[in-house]
Amino acid sequence: MKIVRLNMTTKQASFEEVPEKYLALGGRALTSQIVADEVPAECHPLGPNNKLVIAPGLLSGTSAPSSGRLSVGGKSPLTGGIKEANAGGVCSQKLANIGIKAIVVEGKADAGTYIMHLTADKAELIAADELAGKGTYELTKILKERFNPKVGVICIGPAGEMQMLSAGVTNNDLEGNSSRYAGRGGLGAVMGSKGLKAIVIEADKTFDAPVQDKERFRAAAKKFADILLKHPVCGEGLPTFGTNVLMNVINEAGTLPTRNFRFGRFDKAADVSGEKLAEVAVARGGKQTHSCHPGCVMRCSNVYPLPDGIECSPVEYETAWAFGPNLEINDLDVVARLNYICNDVGLDTIEVGCTLGVLMEAGVIPFGDGQAAIKLLEEVYQGTPLGRVLGAGTAVAGKVYGVTRVPTVKDQGIPAYDPRSCRGNGVTYATTPQGADHTAGYAVTANILKVGGFVEPTKDDGQVELSRNLQVATAAVDSTGLCLFVAFALLDNPEGLPTVVEMLNAQYGTELTVNDVTALGQQVLTVEREFNIKAGFGKAHDRLPEFFYEEELAPHNTKFDLREELDEVFKF
Amino acid sequence: MVYNYHMLLNGVRRLHVEVRLYSGLEKFVQHAQYGKPIQLELSAGTTAEKLIEQLGIPKEHVFSILVNGNHRKGEDLLEDGDRIALFPPVGGG
Repeated sequence: MKIVRLNMTTKQASFEEVPEKYLALGGRALTSQIVADEVPAECHPLGPNNKLVIAPGLLSGTSAPSSGRLSVGGKSPLTGGIKEANAGGVCSQKLANIGIKAIVVEGKADAGTYIMHLTADKAELIAADELAGKGTYELTKILKERFNPKVGVICIGPAGEMQMLSAGVTNNDLEGNSSRYAGRGGLGAVMGSKGLKAIVIEADKTFDAPVQDKERFRAAAKKFADILLKHPVCGEGLPTFGTNVLMNVINEAGTLPTRNFRFGRFDKAADVSGEKLAEVAVARGGKQTHSCHPGCVMRCSNVYPLPDGIECSPVEYETAWAFGPNLEINDLDVVARLNYICNDVGLDTIEVGCTLGVLMEAGVIPFGDGQAAIKLLEEVYQGTPLGRVLGAGTAVAGKVYGVTRVPTVKDQGIPAYDPRSCRGNGVTYATTPQGADHTAGYAVTANILKVGGFVEPTKDDGQVELSRNLQVATAAVDSTGLCLFVAFALLDNPEGLPTVVEMLNAQYGTELTVNDVTALGQQVLTVEREFNIKAGFGKAHDRLPEFFYEEELAPHNTKFDLREELDEVFKF
Repeated sequence: MVYNYHMLLNGVRRLHVEVRLYSGLEKFVQHAQYGKPIQLELSAGTTAEKLIEQLGIPKEHVFSILVNGNHRKGEDLLEDGDRIALFPPVGGG
């Protein structure tokens, strides 16, 4: 395995041996460690001293089911802290199959637009000014025609080039759609700041990353697939309606943020739910289920054709919420259109949804007005002042328009579960080093879904411990390249985690135990927290916005109440 | 009319409840649509489990019972005015 180092100041790309301290790391553990080791915490996130680190997970590129997640890391221009965002798509497996442990992009080009062409034995930087300003769909299509149709393309849209704080880094799915985003935290702006528009990866293989003991690995991978398929959520719930199956249950549970986090229920939630999406998508020749990367057994993605024939793949729950109930919009075609534009222009859908909510709160456009939201989002392509405010994220929009009801932690928009009636997730939003992030410790499991036990969502008891355990487990899972959704099965089936450890041992010839996995998760969180402390974060940043402590949320009429208790989360 | 123990306790009180079925459970009930409230009149003393049986939904398909937004067990008694939502296993994020 090698590390590719791309210096955008000197325009040199080189291969390096992997230092011993990085050999046992992958995915989030590796991106966060390299960022902590090489990026000064005080640096400007869009300056030459920040780095963009891209890494496949430890199991990526093997036959381990659902293991093709890609991690992207750096110092976040949105939060000012460390960031790891991860994505599906084909590129993680391609990188692992050509022996790439990580790509480190550093320095900054004076001017111009560049792409990197990467094969097993060559990394070449190519000037590509003709690609400047291209949307990601067209860009990916052009690069596939130019190199070959099977290449993987990691890229940014115009929002990343304009260094907007909500810009994401995307890569393509099996059909070539550039919709698989490492969306959160503005890492697309970091890539854009360096002058890098795309990384083109050539790899003919998908599942042939080196494995030391192939027989042992095959047996463990098969067992793991069985564990996933036997779990009611992984094997049944997710493959039937996808992630947006959550819309109705979160609404019924009274924790669906509606009208910029004013209410916990939206009376038209069913109109933008997974059930509705399946109906419409299938009727229009789309797909109710779809894999975001090769070899996934949960297939929780979808393909939603819009009336004009444009296909948005996927429309996920978080996005359907962000552009639906959060804005009081009950039209899936509007949701999918906003989603498609974000994918093309290169923005994080959750952040854009939260920002539109704040702009609606400010009266810039009315709540419920889908066409006005589409028009406003289209301004991002032109980089108009209002387009730039939208692309700068929730916290900036709140400051520009004098809004105090701003749902962010560490300046990152809060996702689709209201912390007042899903308090475990409130603990995660407040404390994760990533800024408000539902995936960092997905307490919705025990609070609402009754997976991995049950913790009463409107009470404080047990929430800190729940979030702590989930944050540790998630940091470890995010390092393996496994999709976080395997956690549903890991939480309920005692054979799950030992089987993951068995796969790792068979692949690397190691003798890891389940305890080592917990230690890895704790180590990742510790490294990330230390970076943030050096970057200026303290206890006050580990709190929710004031309005969650002061305004009751219907229908349960509860407030968030945890403050000092939050400082206990990282006492492992 | 023969009075049983529950009726003695509760009189002949009837409960009016609103039921919503989701994620495939609606297929077990004629004319039901996901998310569309079904208004029902039940005898006092009806449990969630009994309601599921009356609707003709095989109980092994029901994973979550939410009553007024709170998780309830099958044996819990329903109250007048309850908003009940039934789900198979669901997840995502």
